[in-house]
Amino acid sequence: MSKAIKYSFCSLLILVCSGFVVLKNKALIFDYPDYWPKPYYDFSKLTMSENEFQLGRQLFYDPIMSRDQTVSCASCHLQATGFTHVDHDLSHGIDGRIGTRNSMALMNLAWNSSFMWDGGVNHIELQALAPISSENEMGSSLNEVVAKLNASIKYKALYYDSYQDSLVTGQKTLLALTQFIVMLNSYNSKYDKYIINEDKGLFTQQEKNGLNIFRNHCASCHTEPLFTDNEFHNNGLTLDPYLNDYGRMRVTNKSEDSLKFKVPTLRNIQFTSPYMHDGRFETLKAVITHYNSEITHSSTLSESLKNNLQLTHKEEVDLLVFLRTLTDTDFLFNKRFSYPFNNQTIP
Amino acid sequence: MIPKKRKLLLFILPFLGLTLVLVSYATPIVKLKITPLFNNQSITENTWFVSSQKDSIQFTKLKFYFTDFQVKSIKGEINTIDHSNYLIDIFQPETLEILLSTVSFSNGDELSFNLGVSSDMNTTGAHSGALDPSNGMFWSWQSGYINFKIEGISPSSKTRQNKFQFHIGGYQSPYNTLRRLTFILNKQTTQLNLNLEEFFERTKLAVDNQIMVPGEKANELATEFFNTMTIN
Repeated sequence: MSKAIKYSFCSLLILVCSGFVVLKNKALIFDYPDYWPKPYYDFSKLTMSENEFQLGRQLFYDPIMSRDQTVSCASCHLQATGFTHVDHDLSHGIDGRIGTRNSMALMNLAWNSSFMWDGGVNHIELQALAPISSENEMGSSLNEVVAKLNASIKYKALYYDSYQDSLVTGQKTLLALTQFIVMLNSYNSKYDKYIINEDKGLFTQQEKNGLNIFRNHCASCHTEPLFTDNEFHNNGLTLDPYLNDYGRMRVTNKSEDSLKFKVPTLRNIQFTSPYMHDGRFETLKAVITHYNSEITHSSTLSESLKNNLQLTHKEEVDLLVFLRTLTDTDFLFNKRFSYPFNNQTIP
Repeated sequence: MIPKKRKLLLFILPFLGLTLVLVSYATPIVKLKITPLFNNQSITENTWFVSSQKDSIQFTKLKFYFTDFQVKSIKGEINTIDHSNYLIDIFQPETLEILLSTVSFSNGDELSFNLGVSSDMNTTGAHSGALDPSNGMFWSWQSGYINFKIEGISPSSKTRQNKFQFHIGGYQSPYNTLRRLTFILNKQTTQLNLNLEEFFERTKLAVDNQIMVPGEKANELATEFFNTMTIN
């Protein structure tokens, strides 16, 4: 009899414990507005669990990813500025090295069909390989990162929590990072509220004017609601003679791709300065001035930029005011995406 | 009362028996043995070889993928072996033997597999095992597997430390560097030789010594490497 009680107590205990496990490692919900298209990314390799998300978050903010433990993903991708590097035209790396391109803002990545300014990376799960192994960024290799993580008791435990196996592998590391960055979604801007007719989001006349100007002149490439067409265009920038960056052509080896770069999203654009692939413009006003009157003509120039915009000063201001409606403070200050360690500063 | 130890033994015995029976059924059926050679001499580290181009060559790295194994019976039935991806490193002897234990064959059946990684696996994100990007066979700046790496030194190669490096990959047409080997099975162990002298017969190291991007040249070298492989 007493044995039976013991057994039932044991099984009850196991049941309760497993209940806790389930509660703790809850499933993630990938949410987005109804009027958005379906995401491009196939989530099937992710566990879509809180544990994997938290593991990815730790990895994202941990300088263990770089060769000398000084640079983390967050070094160039800061949350408060839409996960890009404010005030830095080109990305920075270990040993004070400087890369050749402006770090991209990270948001709504599940809708991206390619990554990097030249689209060289074909899948979100493989994106992190580029900064990890770039000499000018983290100067390491996935192999080296995996070895360091396998030597860490903390990470072995976190990997176990996510995958029921404490062995750190390259695939798991990339998937955990993906699980974190794929959740960085921004869809609570004033623009979004206006589109779904929430009272709070009603636009001022100036913002409405700005939206109209935007739709007439910008939306063919910065397509709503994600504000990118996921394509590559030559937007009339002069070639920087020091960087000699021909963009997409490096990947495709086709002359028709010369000077073409990925169209970045404009969400949270108010905070993601500087702008363009080489960070040449510090202000949105400078960006608008470029499109308005400073386009450099060449054979690959985007069709829609063949004529200068010729906006009046008032129209320029209206457009600027509209672009600010793309700011999503819920996203920029969401604590779930922030630095996960206590009492330390972001390296 | 039966002693505890014997109880345990009695409990385990039937399982052991069953395991033995299962194991005898699942003996590795197709066995592929890979032998890297240069002019019929096996390739070892720190050994000089001389090509027909009069290039003196020492190998420091030779790695390649064999993937997507398939057996086609005489009747035409196709048996695809899932997750059959192997990264072969000629300086890691344990990788030079491939055992396909989940497939059986009759003499006359056809075995085929890829030299390299299929375009499907190149475009579907991070994979595990032999295809894990931490194996150093994946390009980071332009996504794609490196189907094979041939590295070494040669005085003919006027580069830093006389190194030559061929990292060959690329999955997009017209320069898809994937090649497929097909041959008839007629014994349990198939001997696959790599006759590397053939690769260097048409590759002059004074001219080509650093090919590490997809393209026309990579595509040519993929064919050259494919042609070094013979079945005995």
